[in-house]
Amino acid sequence: MSTKETENQLELLQGTLDLLILQTLAFGRAHGHAIARSIEHRSEEVLQVGHGSLYPALQRLLKLGLIVAEDGISENNRKARFYRLTTRGRQRLSLETSKWQRFSRAMARLLMPLAEESK
Amino acid sequence: MHWKSRKDRLEDEIQTHIDLETQENIEAGMSPEEARHAARRKFGNVLLTQEKSREIWGWQWLERLWLDVTFSLRVLRKSPGFTIVAVLTLALGIGANAAIFTLVNAVLMKNLPVADPKTLVRIGSENDCCVGQGTPKDGGFSLFPTAAWQILKKNAPEFEELAAIQAGFEWRPVTVRRDGTNEAQSVMGEFVSGNYFSVLGLQPQLGRLLTDSDNVAGAPMVAIMSYLTWQRDYAGDPSVVGSTFWVNTKPVIVAGIAPEGFFGDRLSSTPPDFYLPFETMPVLASAPYVHDPNMQWLYMVGRVKPSVQLPALQEKLSTLFRQYIAESRPYYSGKGKAELSKVHVVLTPGGGGIQNMQESYGSNLRMLMALSGLVLLIACANIANLLLVRGMARKAEMSVRSALGAARGRLMRQLLTESVILSAMGGIAGLAMAYAGTRMLLALAFPGAQNVPIHASPSLPVLAFACGLSLLTGLLFGVAPAWIAAQAVPADALRSGSRATTVGASLLQRGLVVLQAALSLVLLVGAGLFSHSLYKLQTTDLKLESANRYIAHINPQAAGYKQTQVEALYRTMEERFHTIPGVEKVGISTYTPMEDNNEDTGVQIQGKPDLNLGSSWIKVNSEYFDSVGTHITMGRGVSAQDSSATRPVAVVSKAFVKKFFNAGENPIGYTFGSGSTDGYEIVGVVDDTVYTSAYWKDHLMYFVPLAQRPLNTKDPIENDTTMYAGAIVLKTSHPINNMEALTRQTLASINPNLTVVKFQTFDQQISDRFAHERLVARLTMLFGALALLLATIGLYGVTAYTVARRTSEIGIRMALGAKRVRVISMVMRGAMIQAALGLAIGIPTALLCVRFVESQLYDTKGQDVGVLAVAITTLVLAACLAALLPARRAASIEPAQALRTE
Repeated sequence: MSTKETENQLELLQGTLDLLILQTLAFGRAHGHAIARSIEHRSEEVLQVGHGSLYPALQRLLKLGLIVAEDGISENNRKARFYRLTTRGRQRLSLETSKWQRFSRAMARLLMPLAEESK
Repeated sequence: MHWKSRKDRLEDEIQTHIDLETQENIEAGMSPEEARHAARRKFGNVLLTQEKSREIWGWQWLERLWLDVTFSLRVLRKSPGFTIVAVLTLALGIGANAAIFTLVNAVLMKNLPVADPKTLVRIGSENDCCVGQGTPKDGGFSLFPTAAWQILKKNAPEFEELAAIQAGFEWRPVTVRRDGTNEAQSVMGEFVSGNYFSVLGLQPQLGRLLTDSDNVAGAPMVAIMSYLTWQRDYAGDPSVVGSTFWVNTKPVIVAGIAPEGFFGDRLSSTPPDFYLPFETMPVLASAPYVHDPNMQWLYMVGRVKPSVQLPALQEKLSTLFRQYIAESRPYYSGKGKAELSKVHVVLTPGGGGIQNMQESYGSNLRMLMALSGLVLLIACANIANLLLVRGMARKAEMSVRSALGAARGRLMRQLLTESVILSAMGGIAGLAMAYAGTRMLLALAFPGAQNVPIHASPSLPVLAFACGLSLLTGLLFGVAPAWIAAQAVPADALRSGSRATTVGASLLQRGLVVLQAALSLVLLVGAGLFSHSLYKLQTTDLKLESANRYIAHINPQAAGYKQTQVEALYRTMEERFHTIPGVEKVGISTYTPMEDNNEDTGVQIQGKPDLNLGSSWIKVNSEYFDSVGTHITMGRGVSAQDSSATRPVAVVSKAFVKKFFNAGENPIGYTFGSGSTDGYEIVGVVDDTVYTSAYWKDHLMYFVPLAQRPLNTKDPIENDTTMYAGAIVLKTSHPINNMEALTRQTLASINPNLTVVKFQTFDQQISDRFAHERLVARLTMLFGALALLLATIGLYGVTAYTVARRTSEIGIRMALGAKRVRVISMVMRGAMIQAALGLAIGIPTALLCVRFVESQLYDTKGQDVGVLAVAITTLVLAACLAALLPARRAASIEPAQALRTE
């Protein structure tokens, strides 16, 4: 597997997950479990993220320098690994967010007539 | 390593995640058990997650490789039988090839250790040696007189420099004693032109090398010592340079040491110890031919200037040399004028030096290389077969693994890793085998020689060759089974049980075995032919007696004796050696039977027409014929009364009589000579004892007394080098262990400068003349045996595999009443059909191949029925053996049990 691909391209689903993680961390640092929970809650359980798939995504973001990891203590007193956005992560988040918004608006417009027709 | 701690941390993190989830679930009201399950389900595949995460770190390939390697090693360890057979097979195949290649590389491909060998050019291409007159058959000269060298050197500015080199230094050792010591030694001295070292572009190790001003008659005599001699005999003592050495009893200053690694201008088992300017040769070696315009004795090697066109240069040199020949030889102005146009020279690459050894070993080496290639082919077929069988047997394993989610590529990579590891192991083992094999080869090829400049250690190209070969083999036989295994559709493979009624082994497998059988037959026939040829050679009636005979080679000239002094010396030698208890006969001669030496001349019988024939000839003393065991068949031999003062006589061989005289004619009383005026009177006839080479059958020989010279000869005795005896043959009543020491003592008591050039028993000397043939016979035998062994293993493997696959079928047959004998014959038949097919391909192939080796055989036809029969029988027997074991196993199958195993 070439690492170049993982560095530069965010594939749709993968990218979505990456974006969600960044977005979650925009509120402050969090450990893996909390991130998963948060995504589930905020997407009103629509996005059922397999918790496992979170970790490769975290490693990818770490590698890209968008987040950093640090050891900490969780709310119920367990040692855990916390993730935090870097400046670059924050920049990337806003960039990706606007991109995503443009994209989803475009998709919504594109899909609208078709959705009506098929009714 | 960093990534390892990172790996642990990741595992901890995931654990924490699951724990937190579990906790939440419990808080939500689940039982702990349930909570943990739910958490795990939610998380998904933990291992996969870990793997995917680690993949992002980029170390995955290394980790995978490590996994593959350790797994492969474990798999190989689990089936030691397979591993050992495979590695051994590879080791033998690669080892044999690497050993032969080491030798080929060293002998045929290596350049001399000199500067820029590519621009060196030799004038001439033949192994002509050593001193002679006359024109080669095709007119192409390789051996030249001194004057020709001078003319070419002066008139060919295309050469930066042109060196002249004594052709036959190996036959003319020098006796050397360092000033201030008492011990004289017989060593190799090569006489060369003054620019010899500068042509080769060499720098001295110490002191200086030869210059043109050294090679002038009357100049102070200097010599250059070889590095090896300097180290071996003088422990690298720097004071050797500048000190006096007594070379053939004359004082010579050692001016310098040749560079380390330089072994002369040719590969030789006796490389030069000293290099001397050839203008010192008349003084040091009493050589009369140095300034004789007709005597050819030099090789020429030069360095051409850049951008010189060699064809044009060759043409120019030929013209120059033709002119010289026409002017210097009256023959060409008369009846030989037509032949003059044929006189020419050929330019050959000189970077490899004088190619004498290459010429004599080349065809053998190339043949051995081809044979070892065949062995490797057979080895590869074996490996391929082994892996195919294994691949089939592991089909179920592969199916399970791919059913469990292993990607096809991943499986293939793993199988490939396995074969590469296997071949790497084979390569390493093969290298060890190559090292041992090369040592053995060298010992076989050059028995008793310590100074052969060929090293057994595999050089870098050899290493690359062996490794490349093993890797290529690994990939080659790794791909096929891996491909087949990866093609398997898991469900299919898992569904089809082990019940097989069809022929177990695939066509490919059987084809490989047939190929192996065919190839090994070819090798067996080759081995048979060469062994037969060697046997014929060794059992040839040489018409001599070698038991209890010792031969000491000597060099009275090098000990300082003048031609006029040697007659007395020989009498003294006879007397002194007779005082040794046990010595019965003391023969003295210029050379002896079955040694690498020859002297011949034209013969004309007086009163008979000139047949334009030549004969070899030897000077001998009175006890010589008895000492070598030559029988006198008519007249008398040489007697003690035949001296320089009596009428010159000769004893001739039966072949000589047959050629020159009519049947029934009495040759005794006739006079003959090399011209029409000089001559010897024939007084006796002897048996055709074989001289020089066993291949020289019924060679013409004549023998004259040591001290005598032809009647009416005009040649002054001072120019007659044939006055010097070359050997003493001692016949003893019983084996004497310390004969060599006794000989040295006896000679030294006569004159300390009388050194032993070489000491051997007569048997050893004869045996050495067959060393070459023995090497080839042994190696072809070895390769034949190797091939047979591998083919047998191959056939055994396939048959055993077939039996294993057909266990249940055989069980059914036996349950239905098939007799054990029938089962055995059924299995045997399968194996025999393959052997027979192998024979069907192998016999014509072998008959085709023997043509290429026929010229290398002695008194043996390529299509020797006996040899072919033995080879076929051997192969069939081996095939029977290979099939019998699995057949017996098949016959011992218990029907009930066979049916139950599924």
